[in-house]
Amino acid sequence: MKKNFFRKVGFGIGPDEVVPKNPVSWAQNQVDKVPPLIWDTQIRSGEEMLNHYAEWVYTDREILRKKYRENRQAYKEAKNKLRYKVGQQYFENLEICIRQNTAVKSKSPVFERLWFFWCNHFAIIDKDAMPQFTTGPYHRETIRTNMCGSFETLLKEATLGWSMIHNLDNSESIGPHSEWGKNRRKRGKLATVNENHARELLELHTVSPSAGYSQEDVIQLSYVMAGWEHEHTKKRKECNPVRFNYKKHEPGNHKVLGKKYKQRGLSPKNKLIDVLKDLSNHPETRRFIAFKLCRHFLTDKPTEDMIEPIISAWEKSDGNLPTIHKALLQVVYDHADSQAKFQNPEIWMLQMVNMVGGSWPLQADEMKYNFKIKPNNHQRRPRFFMKEIGYEPYRPIQPNGFSDLESDWISPELLIRRMSAPKEIAQRRFALKNFGEMIEKNFDDPEEIKALINGVKSSSTKMQLIFPSYRMLKT
Amino acid sequence: MINRRTFLTGSITVTLLGSPLFSALAEKKKKRNLVVISLRGGMDGLSAVPPIDPKLEKFRPDILVKKTLPLTSDFALHPSLKNFHNAWKQGKAAIVHATNIPYTMRSHFEGQDLMESGGHKPFAEYTGWLGRGMETANLEGLAIALPMPLILRSKANLDNYFPTKLSTPSPDIMKRVASTYPEDSNLRSTIQRVIMRPYSMLSGKGSRKAHKLAGTAAKALSKANGPRVAVFDINGFDTHAAQGGSNGEHADKLYNLDKIFGTLQKYLGPTYEDTLIVTLTEFGRKIEQNGGNGTEHGYGTAVLMMGGLVKKAQVYSDWPGLNRKNLFEGQDLNSTTDARSIYCSAMAIVFETDFEKLKRQVFWNDPLIDLQDKLFNV
Repeated sequence: MKKNFFRKVGFGIGPDEVVPKNPVSWAQNQVDKVPPLIWDTQIRSGEEMLNHYAEWVYTDREILRKKYRENRQAYKEAKNKLRYKVGQQYFENLEICIRQNTAVKSKSPVFERLWFFWCNHFAIIDKDAMPQFTTGPYHRETIRTNMCGSFETLLKEATLGWSMIHNLDNSESIGPHSEWGKNRRKRGKLATVNENHARELLELHTVSPSAGYSQEDVIQLSYVMAGWEHEHTKKRKECNPVRFNYKKHEPGNHKVLGKKYKQRGLSPKNKLIDVLKDLSNHPETRRFIAFKLCRHFLTDKPTEDMIEPIISAWEKSDGNLPTIHKALLQVVYDHADSQAKFQNPEIWMLQMVNMVGGSWPLQADEMKYNFKIKPNNHQRRPRFFMKEIGYEPYRPIQPNGFSDLESDWISPELLIRRMSAPKEIAQRRFALKNFGEMIEKNFDDPEEIKALINGVKSSSTKMQLIFPSYRMLKT
Repeated sequence: MINRRTFLTGSITVTLLGSPLFSALAEKKKKRNLVVISLRGGMDGLSAVPPIDPKLEKFRPDILVKKTLPLTSDFALHPSLKNFHNAWKQGKAAIVHATNIPYTMRSHFEGQDLMESGGHKPFAEYTGWLGRGMETANLEGLAIALPMPLILRSKANLDNYFPTKLSTPSPDIMKRVASTYPEDSNLRSTIQRVIMRPYSMLSGKGSRKAHKLAGTAAKALSKANGPRVAVFDINGFDTHAAQGGSNGEHADKLYNLDKIFGTLQKYLGPTYEDTLIVTLTEFGRKIEQNGGNGTEHGYGTAVLMMGGLVKKAQVYSDWPGLNRKNLFEGQDLNSTTDARSIYCSAMAIVFETDFEKLKRQVFWNDPLIDLQDKLFNV
């Protein structure tokens, strides 16, 4: 009955869960509204987290470094105190807990898997203090809350959000003929655009290189984007809200992908909004994202018959994400028997946790923190463990995010991690009593898995055998 | 100033101390090693090895590299590269300048894919040039990274090393897990390699700092029956903002690179004489700085080489110059040497395999030039 479907689009079936009778409607019913995050104490807002970030960079750079210029040891001590005060070693662990607790406890695991997908599509790389403070909130507030509207809105929110603007350096961009640009030149300084954000907007977030854009398109789009920035101030550094600074904006009309964009009112702000609208409705965007969805959930090499129904749902609904997601879920179910997808380390680990009812991640009471001393080993374990297994969710190293390809997840060392990780979960409490039942509920060839643990007494050993095995790695 | 079409040679006289040439004749051939360091993000050759040219000052007033180390009358070296400079003084370091893989589209992901695959079309190849080269020469390699980099992938199976702090299961459990993987799958051959490992590689509690790992790699390479190829990754060369000159982002990254150079030299011991270290990147950076003291994606860059197999201290280049009309698309240092010629020549010398054969089997018989005589101790 395609039991693998519950791992393909979710985290498998846990000890207290029953196997849904109608898998497709079970899955499709989960994507219409944004479910709440599952965490027992109050969750901090992105705005508050940006304040912690600001305090961390400002105090360190402007106060401590100057005050303790002559005394390295005293500087180190003062910096550690500051570290604890702003939660520099704490918040990333907390965010991992919120993310993963929500994933394994959710009544809408399919939504959570899609959330993970979109966080990775609009990836924020490990830069400055972002993983420690702001990338978790960006995933929660910018990505998650916009997953039930249109792709256009999601694209707009992600593109103009503080995280992406800072991550891809758009604040550094100065239109050569802008007011600032001219002033800089008068003073003998150069003024040029920073192409980073414009390039990734085309290449990774929307049309992809198959749209055949040129370097000139990238430059023109950079002109359109120039002026969208966060202010850089002495007291808060980069931690200021995004604004449109027309003094840095390149005046005039700009041609991107063959279409001319011009100012329509008093402010030239509309130019980028217009480009984003067109990019989100571009046929190559639909094709690229339909392809990526299939590649993430179904196979390394999606075929036309997989992509086509998703493109068609996109066209008919004007890019309504729940409609697109539902089309994807049907496609995944239709191909569930013939395709097996290698799962990335985080999804695989969370499937293991869910299937055995494991005590991972840490809960709100265990994550209580006084901001005076170093978080304890236990509280730092989430980041440590994710680093060990090769998937730190707030630290992709490149803007194209984590890979979806099997070949990128197989190496001797990565396989060692898959064989070592089950012990981490096994040595904590877990709810599962009956392995046979778990196997029946989750696998299409239960006898094959049962044979693997035949004669094994220890639950820990059973887990070490089942979870790195072929059917689990490749679902 | 430097003329186009002039091949440059170093102004340093090469002194060979205890030349291995004579002993090599008497003894059996020694094992040679190749270390490839991938500089991800687009390494700025004009910052690492700036040409001595007043035009550069005009393009880059705020990020000009000062207090450079002397190389030749035409080129200087970034002050972060001290170990490299010491090797230069001993005639064991060289640079190929104005070079790149034949890729001009300025995308990191396409560029990095091509610098590793050695191919023409992004994402079309599933193996890497080094992997194919080693397959041709029938050799073993070791990647110092958690994932297996594309550059090393081939039909043959390769190894990587990255210490873990988690406890690994018994060989018996591993064997039972292995039995679930299909016979001819990548998973099966990869896990076999894990099972066959010495215990010391499974319970490694070593440091994961890049230069410490370099020490581990060097020790492995220095063993007569150890691997012959090692690959490193350094991220963060994508300096769109705050690149800086002598200090700053790019300087820090070059310092990391130099630390690896130093560690490798130290731990390779006598094997250093039979080793070639070479850098790789997806592209250089635009000649003109941007508004944020950074640089944009460009084209031509420099390849750094170090080790006993380097012929002499030289900047080898068919230098295209920095005049606007000579810049690629009016924006970048041009590339006059297909960097794959360097890599094909490097494999030929280290693997002691025919250049033409490698060119055919690794690079689809593309018109690459054999640079062994020019660059290496043949």
